[in-house]
Amino acid sequence: MRERALRIVRTGIVLFLGLIFYVGCSSSTENKKEERKPAPKVHTVEIKQMKFVPAELHVNKGDTVLFINNDLVAHDVTEEPNGSWTSSALQASESWALQVTQSADYYCSLHIVMKGKIIVD
Amino acid sequence: MNAVKTLTKSGVMLVALLTMLLLPALAQENPKLSDPEVAHVAVVANQIDIGYAEIALKKSKNQDILKFAETMTNDHTAVIGQASDLAKKLGVTPMENAVSKQLLADAEKTKKELRSKSRKDFDKAYIDNEVAYHKAVIAAVKNLLIPETENAELKALLEKVLPALETHLEHAEMVQKKI
Repeated sequence: MRERALRIVRTGIVLFLGLIFYVGCSSSTENKKEERKPAPKVHTVEIKQMKFVPAELHVNKGDTVLFINNDLVAHDVTEEPNGSWTSSALQASESWALQVTQSADYYCSLHIVMKGKIIVD
Repeated sequence: MNAVKTLTKSGVMLVALLTMLLLPALAQENPKLSDPEVAHVAVVANQIDIGYAEIALKKSKNQDILKFAETMTNDHTAVIGQASDLAKKLGVTPMENAVSKQLLADAEKTKKELRSKSRKDFDKAYIDNEVAYHKAVIAAVKNLLIPETENAELKALLEKVLPALETHLEHAEMVQKKI
């Protein structure tokens, strides 16, 4: 009789601990969900009338920026000041995608007065 | 130095020339320059700058000048391509006229002067001429050619070319400050 009571108490303790563990885990999953970064987005920068439009773009790290040349003449998109990345020449109607890892200034090396900026928030 | 002044003066004279040739047309109710003639002036103006760039690409060793000249060649070639495509689409043959003839004659003189420059003087002469030439062409396109044009698509193309010309001018002025 005493042994049966002990078994019931033991089972109760195991169930109770199991419940606490489950609640703890699901709460931690919820927290992770809240901390998770938003899904990467694709932003568009149009090159037209000898300008990058928009000239200043706010993005999240990991987002992609798609540059589309809708101008009469060829352009490129080149990091400034070190030229650490470049699209090379984009003819009219061509496009190029950049995955953003950090904020950067850029310009068109063919038309050095054309400038733009990507800011990682 | 005198030669540079001469080239700058030739740019100023070009503005005056275009104004003199086209103002009487503007003063009349019916424009004197037809659309095929406007198209020819536009094509010739682009060809002239390609001609200047060809000389620069042969004579200069300056990286800023070489890059600028290469951009002029590519951009003006692209504009001529667009103009030719539009002319074909509209069934229009660009027509030689007094303005385009005079532009070509004037450009021949300027090219002769540029070719005669020593390598030392060439870069400044070339970029000074580019600044003056682009100022003249912008003024002509904005104030004379666009108002003369009747066809909406040709007018739209001329309007689309303006920002490129203005960017070229700004670029040329930046290079000019460094030379």
